[in-house]
Amino acid sequence: MMAGFLDYIPGTSFLHRLNPLTKLLFSLILCVSCFVTDLHLFILGLILLNLALGFYSGIARRSLRILSALIKFSIVLFIVQVLVIHDGTALFYLTKSMPITDLGVSFSLLFVMRLIAATMPLTLMLSVTQMSDLSNVLVEKLGIPFRYTFALTTAIRFIPVFAAEMGGIVEAQTARGVAFDTKNIFKKLTLLLPLCVPLLISSVKRIESGAISAELRGFNLRKRGSGYKQYGIQGIDILALAVVVVIFVLGILF
Amino acid sequence: MIRFEHTRFAYDKTPVIDDVSFTVAKGDFAALIGANGAGKSTITKLCNGLLKPQSGRVVLNGLDTKTTKTSLLAKTTGFLFQNPDRQICKNTIAEEILFGLEFVFDDEAKRKDQCQFVLEQFKFDGKRDPFSMSRGERQRIALASLLARDPQIMILDEPTTGLDYRECTQIMEMIAERNASGVTVLMVTHDMEITQDYAKHVLVLNQGKLLGDGDVADVMTNRAVLEAASVSPAQIPALAMRFGPAFTHVSTPEQMAERIARGCRA
Repeated sequence: MMAGFLDYIPGTSFLHRLNPLTKLLFSLILCVSCFVTDLHLFILGLILLNLALGFYSGIARRSLRILSALIKFSIVLFIVQVLVIHDGTALFYLTKSMPITDLGVSFSLLFVMRLIAATMPLTLMLSVTQMSDLSNVLVEKLGIPFRYTFALTTAIRFIPVFAAEMGGIVEAQTARGVAFDTKNIFKKLTLLLPLCVPLLISSVKRIESGAISAELRGFNLRKRGSGYKQYGIQGIDILALAVVVVIFVLGILF
Repeated sequence: MIRFEHTRFAYDKTPVIDDVSFTVAKGDFAALIGANGAGKSTITKLCNGLLKPQSGRVVLNGLDTKTTKTSLLAKTTGFLFQNPDRQICKNTIAEEILFGLEFVFDDEAKRKDQCQFVLEQFKFDGKRDPFSMSRGERQRIALASLLARDPQIMILDEPTTGLDYRECTQIMEMIAERNASGVTVLMVTHDMEITQDYAKHVLVLNQGKLLGDGDVADVMTNRAVLEAASVSPAQIPALAMRFGPAFTHVSTPEQMAERIARGCRA
């Protein structure tokens, strides 16, 4: 079976070895950097940087899969944006009342590039960080109560689980004749709506059993000092943060 | 009829199904057995086109699954999943059954008739909420929804897992009844007693390869094949194997009684 798109991929790369808190800050600053500039080329550079980091960390295949999925989604968003923005100089007219403008194209392109550049660092970070490490470091270093970090990491961990569950539900419905194998995306979306019921039922069941299991293992007893693993800041963490701060400053300057 | 012709399938590089060929004839009841990870569920998904073979062919009632849409194959082929909760998506049992019928019958009156017939057959109150019922009951709803569509072929992926003896027998009797009326059945199971009691034909799968394909009495008493596939035989064949060569091919209580009687007379 293929791993979920947010599952941890083991490795020993530079990114894997970073402190989880550094990884979190690194990805957040990269995300914010997309929004401090309006320069298309700068954002394209960020996308390429994310891709390069993915290749370097040994998760090239996943990076490409995520990029490909984001591009598909972005194409739809781009088309919608271009069609609704009428400001600027008309490049050509689709119909008499529907111009495609230079501003519309430029803004839509910027919008989808930001979406891609802001999503990739987070998925990259989650691919090279164990959820338990992320949770522990948030408790230990930032003093966030465990119940909140647990809720956050559980929500992230459950995304691929629910995606797999949804895949199973779609398979079951296709097998009974629901035409999910149609190429019409709007028809597919309409067919997906009734499937929210089984997904919701299975999600609630899973969450309930998870909560009971956690409570039985002394969930509420966990405190800031309960973790035995230490998460020290090393030279590579400072280097990574320095690089990302430089990128951020460059974003502001351009 | 289900026909696999030198079928090969892999999720990544390692083949999960490797050069598998077999035929399940019209009206046959085939059990697909093997250890976990042998590729049984993959075979069932290949059967109805949820997965497409990378080489070879899978043919269902003359339709190549590679070139036919799954939703089209589903008009004549019913699939029962191990987990009924992936199938059930409506708030009442009647709505659930009618939802499945929408894809098979265009005539609304026919759909209502079929729904009513199945509700009575299964003794269900159509207004009940399926999600408030037990796991066994939900599996029966999934089966009812499948049977209402009058499929020519039924593919069942461990339909009795997690059910008690009574629920298991109820479900198997209904499947056997349809099979007796000419419906082809391919069932994945880990339960050798069920295989022994209901199947006519057994397929043994191990690490993606077909190790055994034959009559239930022959396969279920073939120690070498069962051991290679990490499968324990049902109680009667297991006992017969212990008794030695005089009890070869004994797979039912009647055969066992007859052999013992013959031994006593001798």
